[in-house]
Parts: sequence; structure tokens; C-alpha cells
Amino acid sequence: MGGICSRKRDQQVLDDDLHTGFSGRYCRSCSTKWSRARSLRSKANHCPGRGTCPSLMDLCINKIREDFHKYNSFSILPRDISQQIFNELVDSHCLTEASLEAFRDCALQDIDLGEYVGVHDGWMDVISSQGLSLLSVDVSGSQVTDNGLRLLKDCSNLQALALNYCDQFSEYGLKYISGLSNLTSLSIRKSSTVKPDGMRAFSNLFNLEKLDLERCSEIHGGFVHLKGLKNLESLNIGCCKCVTDSDMKSISELINLKELQISNSSITDIGITYLRGLEKLTTLNVEGCNITAACFESIHALASLACLNLNRCGLSDDGFEKISGLRSLKRLSLAFNRITDACLVHLKGLTNLEYLNLDSCRIGDDGLSNLTGLTLLKSLVLSDTEIGNSGLRYVSGLNKLEDLNLSFTTVTNHGLERLSGLTHLKSLNLDARQITDTGLANLTSLSGLISLDLFGARISDSGTTYLRSFKNLQSLEICGGGLTDAGIKNIREIVSLTQLNLSQNCNLTDKTLELISGMTALRSLNVSNSRITNEGLRYLKPLKNLRTLTLESCKVTASEIKKLQSTDLPNLISFRPE
Amino acid sequence: MKKEDTVKLISAEGFEFVVDKEAAMVSQTIHNMLTSPGSFAERQHGEVTFPEISTTILEKICQYFYWHLQFASGKETEFPIEPELTLELMMAANYLHT
Repeated sequence: MGGICSRKRDQQVLDDDLHTGFSGRYCRSCSTKWSRARSLRSKANHCPGRGTCPSLMDLCINKIREDFHKYNSFSILPRDISQQIFNELVDSHCLTEASLEAFRDCALQDIDLGEYVGVHDGWMDVISSQGLSLLSVDVSGSQVTDNGLRLLKDCSNLQALALNYCDQFSEYGLKYISGLSNLTSLSIRKSSTVKPDGMRAFSNLFNLEKLDLERCSEIHGGFVHLKGLKNLESLNIGCCKCVTDSDMKSISELINLKELQISNSSITDIGITYLRGLEKLTTLNVEGCNITAACFESIHALASLACLNLNRCGLSDDGFEKISGLRSLKRLSLAFNRITDACLVHLKGLTNLEYLNLDSCRIGDDGLSNLTGLTLLKSLVLSDTEIGNSGLRYVSGLNKLEDLNLSFTTVTNHGLERLSGLTHLKSLNLDARQITDTGLANLTSLSGLISLDLFGARISDSGTTYLRSFKNLQSLEICGGGLTDAGIKNIREIVSLTQLNLSQNCNLTDKTLELISGMTALRSLNVSNSRITNEGLRYLKPLKNLRTLTLESCKVTASEIKKLQSTDLPNLISFRPE
Repeated sequence: MKKEDTVKLISAEGFEFVVDKEAAMVSQTIHNMLTSPGSFAERQHGEVTFPEISTTILEKICQYFYWHLQFASGKETEFPIEPELTLELMMAANYLHT
């Protein structure tokens, strides 16, 4: 029952989102490689083999999902139960405008319909009927207009509101929001409605802790209205090209800011100088801004800084001695800069670092010798660098590493021996052509791996035998072209897999689908560019958890997948060809 | 069936269901009542009264207990739920933590 009662107050942003500057939850355009995992509630009834028995509660909820039209109202149920039913219907994409009616006056607390298809003003009536119980609403991507927003006016306990990518409301709509003084979190991404004058509506939201205006194109000059928001701790104005140095002057008055995202804005060194007084700042993201080493002087003053993203800033080695003083840093992103081994010398003392991203930097094996003291490192990105086998010597001692990316480096099979002691590794990316079966044989001690990316590696059928060592693997990509149906016999033993990408293996046939039909935990499957046909689709019927299916460039038609979706795969939400 | 291996579940209308303790303990709530230290009356007398659960629902709950045991031993059949009972059943399941 704990699961039912627990309420997620904070929209938790995944750690790794930091270096891109986008939070996964509300992001429409984030990587579509894997479908977003919406339902976090574990489904006991889908466990393969000797799984736990479904609770009576789960059985009832499934029943309701199946015969939804038979229920007119859930208002007699306790709130936590109707909330659970609501969440389940949203997760399974079964909720419609008509069926929403059953939730009228249910005192729901959370309405998370972000990116849900078909939401418009007609839904807002039932949403607002939750009245004072309502604490959070996400109608991102909906067609909601001013009329719909007006209905929220009476839900004065609302703490979190997300209207990302909504382009049907006007500045009048924003005025209704200005009365929701209990809001602690407001997110209106990619809106051209939010203009400097309209931002006056935010000036009364004294409890606001988090404001997200990412990708808003016309907010320049509006920050003067935020002055009074002394509780504001997090501000995201990433990808707002309109934001310039003068805006930073207003932002510098938000002295309680802990997190500031200004990536891909028009801010320069001058704008950064305004930040010096933000003593509480722990996260600063300036990815893609036109800054130089001159601003390190100002950044250096931010002693509390724990996360710093300087990706794609065109930086060279100059000035990095200033960064070496930021001893509190836990996460540092330097990807796509012109930095070399000379820069890494200054990272030596950053012994609290847990995450370091050096993707596509001009670093080599010698530079890595400076990282040996960073023993707390959990995540290291070295992709697209000149790193080779001898550099792994310095990596092999970082035994807290959980996530290592060596894609497109010059590391070979032989070098992978050096990784065998990194037994805490959960995620390993070895997407490189020179990696083959022999390399895989060197990794069998890494039994804790959850994710293994061998996208371009040349793995053959015989190499797949080594995969059996990875009992906990959930995500696997082998797309080098060397697999046949025979190799799939080993892969199907890994029943923990939820994501499997076998595309580009053009010899795979329908037999592959037959072989994997027992992998019922699969949520995402990609076997594009293979010889799979419509005939083989029937083998997918047992894969009830499948949410994403990609079979591009196969002899498979969208209409046949649709048929399968309607008869056997209720959870399938995205498929190709479509 | 020995008396100490069974437990009596009593519905709102006073209807009594005698079920195996093992089955009844599928419910976390009943499990706690029957095993917590101290002298819960339920533990002493081996009977639990549910003033809020109707006979029809309690019968269904008992069926679920046995279905659960079967499922756990590998016999995975479907558990039938009548739509008109679902909502009440959910409230009981919520209370019984099952």
C-alpha cells in the first residue's frame, strides 16, 4: 500500500540531464532513442517466471482499465485509490475526455497529463473540479486556452503547474496564473506568449521556488518583474536566445538562486560577472554560450558550485587554473571544447568530482594521468577522444566508476582487460568498430552491468556467449551487422533485458522474433534493417510490456503492427513504420 | 482442519468465513493482527470482525486469498472480478493491504 500513498512532490531531474540542460520529464525533443519510461510503478503481474503474485489492488485496477466504460464515477473511493486508477489510465493511454468524467470531484492531487494526446479546454472542467485538493497539474503539449486556464483559478492550493509547449493561450491566461500564490513550481517552456510585460503575472508568486522558461523566445527585459521572488531557487532560461547580459543584472538580485540554466543564450563574459554575488549557487549551466576564459574569474567566486556545465563554449586551455579552486565541484562538463591534456592538470585537485564529461575534447592518454586521484568518480565520458589502451591504465584504478563511455576512442580489445577490475560498472559504452568478440571476453567479470552499448562493435554469434555473464543487463545494443539468428539464442537467455537494439544485423529473420518471444520484460525492441516480415510479428504477442517497436526497412507494414497492437500489445505506444 | 490452523473472518452482516490461517495471512493487515506481539483479541480468539466489509466482498476476498496461494505455487489462472464489485473490492483491498 505504500506505493499508493507515496506522493512525488518534486519533479526529480535525472542527474545526467545536467549536461544537456534539459530535464527528461517535460522534454519533448530529448533523445528518442528509447521511449520515456512513464510508469515508475513496478508491475508485479508482469514478472516473468516465478514472479510475485499480483495484489488484489492491481487486479482491480487492471479490470477497471479493461472495462472502463462501465464506471461512471470514482468519487466514492478514497482519494489515494482514485489517484492510482487515474495514473494507471494515463500511463496506459486509456484515458479519454469521456472517461475523464468519472474522476469529477475525486479530490485528486496530481493531474499529470504532460504530452498526453488530445488534452484541451474540455478536460479542464473535470481537472478543476478537484478543487482545493489539487496540488499539481501538468497539461504540457495540450491545446488549453485562456478559458481552460481560467478554470484553474479556484484551485488555489496548486503548487506545481506545467504548461510547456502550449501555444493556444494568451497573456490573459497568464493573468489567471498570477492568483495562484501557492505555486512553488511553474514551467512554461517554449512559449512565445510569455513576454516581458506578461511576466508581471509572476511577480505575485512569492512562494515560487522553481521557474522554467526554457526556449521562450521573447522574455528579454521581463526579469525585472521577478525581483520580489525571494524564494526562487531554480531558474531555467536555457535556449532563450533573446536573453542577454542586461537580463543577468536583474537575475543577480535573486540572491537565493541555487540553480541557474542559461545554456545557449546570448550571454557573454559580461553577463557572467553579474553572478558573482549568488553565493548559494550550486548549479550553473552555460553550455553553448559565447564565453571566454575571462569569465572564470567570476565563476571562481562561486564557492558553493557543485555542478558546472561548460560544454560547447569554444574554450581552450587558458584560465583553467581558476577552475581548480572550485573544490566543491561534483559534476563538471567540458565536452566539445578545444581543451587538451594541459587543461586536465588543473582538474587534479577536484577530488570531489563524481561526474566528468570530456566528450570530443582534444585529450590523450597522458592527460588521463591527472585523473587518478579523482577516486570518487562515478561517471566518466571519454567518447570521441584520442584515448587509447595506455590511457585506460589510469582509468583502471577509478574503482567507484559506474558509468564509462569509450565510444569512438582508439581503445581496442586488448585494452579492455584493464576494465576487468571496475566491478561497480553499471553502464559501459564501447561503440567502436575495432571492438570484437575478443574484447567482450575481457569483460565477463563486470557482472553488475545494466547497460551495454556495442552499437558499432563487430560482435558475431560466438561473441554472444559472453553476454551470459551479465545477469542484470537491462539495455543492450549490438548493431554491428555480424549477428544471425543463431546468436540470438544466447541473447534470449538475458531475461532481465527491457531494451534491446539489434538493428543493422541484416541477416536476422523471423526466427529471431520467435526466439525472443519469451523475453517478456522487453519494453523497447529495435530490429530494423533485417529480414523480418509481417509473418514474424505474431511471435511478439507475449511481449505485453512492449512500448516501443522499431522495424524500419523490414518487410513489415504499419497496418500489421497496428493490428497486433490492438489485439495483443496494449502498452505499445510508439512503433515504426507508422 | 485443526482449529489453530484456521481463522474466522466475520463480515459486516455477521456472516462467518472459516479459512486457513495461511490463506488469510495473504493480507498484510490480517497478518499483522495475528502475529504482532501483545494480546490482540484477534490473535487470542482466532477471529477478526470487519464491520466495514460486506459479505459479498468478504467472500470475494477469501477467494482471492486461495487464488493467491495457487498462483504462488505456480498455477497461474485468471482471477475473475465482476465490474459491479470492483470499487468496493478496492476499498477492502486497500484496508486489508492485499
